[in-house]
Amino acid sequence: MTALLVTGLHKAFGPTRIIQGIELSVAKGERHAVIGPNGAGKSTLFHLISGRLRADAGQVLLDGQDITGLPPHDIFNRGMARSFQVTSLFPKLSVFENLRAAAMRDGGCGLAFWRRLDGYAPLRQRAEDLLAMLGLDRRRDVLAGNLAYADQRALEIGVTVAGGAHTILLDEPTAGMSRAETERAVTLIRRVTEGRTLVMIEHDLGVVFDLADRISVLAEGRVIASGLPDQVRGDPAVRTAYLGAAAETLDA
Amino acid sequence: MLAPAQVIVARPRAGSALRSMLPWVLVAALALVMPHVVPGGFGLSLLCRMGIAIVFALSFNMLLGQGGMLDFGHAVFLGLGGFLAMHFMRLADAGWWLPLPLLPLAGAVGGLLAAIAAGWIATRRAGTAFAMITLGVAELVVAIVLLLPGTFGGEEGLSGDRSSGPRVLGFDFGTQLQAYHLIAAWAWGCALLMWLYTRTPLGRLANAVRDNAERVGFLGYNPARIRWLVFALSGLFAGVAGGLAALNDEIVTSGNMGPDASGGVLLMTFIGGIGTFWGPVVGAILITFLSVALSTVTDAWQLYSGLLFVAMVVWAPGGLSGIILAHAPLVRAGRLGRVVPGYLVCLPGLVLAVAGTVGLAELAFRLQAVRNGASPRPVFGIAVDPGSLLPWLVALALLLAGALLLRRTAPPARAAWQEASVASTAP
Amino acid sequence: MEQLALIVLNSLVYGLLLFMLSVGLTLIFGMMGVLNLAHASFYMLGAFLAYTVSIRLGFWAALVVVPVLVGGVGAVVERYGLRTVHKHGHVAELLFTFGLAYIIGEIVPLVWGRNPVPYRVPPELDFALFQIGANAYPAYRLFMMGVAIAMFLALFLALARTRLGLVVRAALTHPDMVGMLGHDVPKVFTLVFGAGCALAGLAGVIAGNAYTTEPGMARSLGAIVFAVVVMGGLGSIWGALIASLLIGFVQVGSISLDLPLGAVLTRLGVSIPSVMPDLWSISIARVAPVVPYLLLVLVLAVRPRGLMGTRSA
Repeated sequence: MTALLVTGLHKAFGPTRIIQGIELSVAKGERHAVIGPNGAGKSTLFHLISGRLRADAGQVLLDGQDITGLPPHDIFNRGMARSFQVTSLFPKLSVFENLRAAAMRDGGCGLAFWRRLDGYAPLRQRAEDLLAMLGLDRRRDVLAGNLAYADQRALEIGVTVAGGAHTILLDEPTAGMSRAETERAVTLIRRVTEGRTLVMIEHDLGVVFDLADRISVLAEGRVIASGLPDQVRGDPAVRTAYLGAAAETLDA
Repeated sequence: MLAPAQVIVARPRAGSALRSMLPWVLVAALALVMPHVVPGGFGLSLLCRMGIAIVFALSFNMLLGQGGMLDFGHAVFLGLGGFLAMHFMRLADAGWWLPLPLLPLAGAVGGLLAAIAAGWIATRRAGTAFAMITLGVAELVVAIVLLLPGTFGGEEGLSGDRSSGPRVLGFDFGTQLQAYHLIAAWAWGCALLMWLYTRTPLGRLANAVRDNAERVGFLGYNPARIRWLVFALSGLFAGVAGGLAALNDEIVTSGNMGPDASGGVLLMTFIGGIGTFWGPVVGAILITFLSVALSTVTDAWQLYSGLLFVAMVVWAPGGLSGIILAHAPLVRAGRLGRVVPGYLVCLPGLVLAVAGTVGLAELAFRLQAVRNGASPRPVFGIAVDPGSLLPWLVALALLLAGALLLRRTAPPARAAWQEASVASTAP
Repeated sequence: MEQLALIVLNSLVYGLLLFMLSVGLTLIFGMMGVLNLAHASFYMLGAFLAYTVSIRLGFWAALVVVPVLVGGVGAVVERYGLRTVHKHGHVAELLFTFGLAYIIGEIVPLVWGRNPVPYRVPPELDFALFQIGANAYPAYRLFMMGVAIAMFLALFLALARTRLGLVVRAALTHPDMVGMLGHDVPKVFTLVFGAGCALAGLAGVIAGNAYTTEPGMARSLGAIVFAVVVMGGLGSIWGALIASLLIGFVQVGSISLDLPLGAVLTRLGVSIPSVMPDLWSISIARVAPVVPYLLLVLVLAVRPRGLMGTRSA
């Protein structure tokens, strides 16, 4: 069963073609890493899949349903959630409130203005559970804008998964983290994406080979390699993409 | 965006429901007692105006402080609600059974319908574009109102008589006291409803949209739809304020909905503080009081409130309630004494700067008066000749001296506050 | 025919005046992301200051001195006020410029009184240049057009040919990058804000005596300028020019159309509805002042980037 299927995706900004025909297939329950040199178009790919940008051509299927061109909130309601490379939280709400807000849609809140928010007990419970899982219970009432960076990144992941989506997109979740923080983050990601489909942009190859079931390599707007970690590791095209044409001479 | 930067922790609202109802009970009791505390018809009239302003400002802050939406034409909803209520009042005068206490409901309906319509256009955009649309829509509505004298009474507006409707429990609401109780009850009820709204899912989502509208989209909600709903509710309450105003003044004109009124509610809400629920209440009470009190003493009070507004935008964007809130942790930790000396040192500079500014403004007014043939009133009790150069130089010198002093004394005071604040809120 | 010629000439004058006002505003927005709600207030300040200066030192002195004064005020306001507010976000900036407009709107009647002031066209330029039918066309109007065109050329050259102009143009689309390249972006901002206000002041100097100079002029012109800037596209000078001329034409044209609104419907072959009979008998000339607001709302709702904008509102 394919959770996410991307075919023939193209995107240009004026004369600059960022995405030049991407094909990507992610199986249900798979942990799929997207790697590639800077400027390859990885974040743009996420923006296209999650509805933040409109593709010029191509199709995105989520669980067999066509989500191409849908606005972000419709895509979320079909079961896909994403995180952001630059932390995107609610700075003037507390950590707890951030998580609760993220879980509201799934918690059946709708846009009700006739019921107390505190009255939705399951919603509160889910936020509390997530708080514990993220290790942020002692920061429960801290305003998200005042958190330390690593805590913010953890909360970013928490907010992404709080809504119960079955397909999670994480955009460089461990960017800017120390060794220890990265290890904690990897454990966290493994736990919260248990039983879900994960697509992850990452630069830290240690994390990639630790977590990923399959890897796709993006370069210059195209997927140049895709498969099991060992296959990709040994692919000469991948080495060239990362190290440049000089990679060939390095071997010789 | 404009919250006090040092508020690190949100105090959770723990405690029983009874505990959180206590302030409301106290306020209700206060409102009942006020007519006996404040003497005479003038005081009662002032209280009535404050009540109306409170509802209006709270409705405005549903948009600005809670939703991050800057509405330059909010008075339109007050005005249209007022006009609808006035039409019903006139029908009651003509014999229909429409009891006065229910009239603000008509205001609510008028405000709601107008806000749904205007909001449909405005909430498609956010930020600056939204603000400009509200500006345009407000001016359009006012212009159209003036072009339809049949419905809106033209330049003189529409008037009615609140006491000639059906009696309710023996009251005809003709006296200011009876009108006060009606207004106070409605104001209390609306404030309570608006407070309860902040504890609903929609209220929380509005906060989220304010903080990061894009992310809200990625959490499954359409941010424009949220903004539209909040805008409609805000218009509803503004309409109630309009109905109360119609009731109180017994007249509604296009001036009620014009840019002056919209600017006024913006000023009073911001000065009171947009970061808390009760900030706008403080602002409404204070500015209403000052506008009445100061306008007898000086003609420049609108200039002063404008200057105060800009000063707060630059140096105290949390408003008065923000300032109070920023010092609450210090009081709790017993560190208020650390900052008071610094503030006292700033005081002379502040006084001089204010005196200089007021002096310049008052002199300008006296000069105008002299040019028009009147004799000038004394400034600060001193008889001056606005035509001569000396008083101007004195006022300018006071202003410059004050500004220089403040420049010197403000940074240490701020540093002291920062230090005390961090020490008082360390987790 | 003469009527049309008159309308075209007047539209040109008015449109170029709008352009002078809106180019500063669109530059400020394009570069700093700030919509200066006080822009029309600086225009008003320029007109009143020109009145005071011209009765002491003559019109030509005012033409030079007043824009510098107004630009100076703008620069000071930016340096000590707006610069601090930047970090609080766009809503705070709007509030600041709104408060500024409010304050200037109070100071002007405070100093000059609530009535229009007799700011007159200088006698050297106060003659009829040519005849259009029965009307004498004043030379001063042509002078106004001349100043506006000269200003446009000077601005164009400054932006296109000088180093500073290059920095400003770069900062129009990539302010952060320009900062990283070592330019003092805050200083450039102050300069642009001051220059924008100076242009508004210049517009006030040359227009205040042709149209009336009174404390309400900022409010009535303000919305039109916003409509121009939004329509032309925020940050685009050419867009501002095109939109100014267009709106100038629509305004001048509709004010001289003394037909009732209903006539438009009958011309289109539609019968006048019976609901709200007041509305359809109103003359178009009376509705004309409302049109800019309508345009403002429509453009923002439908296409916030305007005709040629670089940045969406």
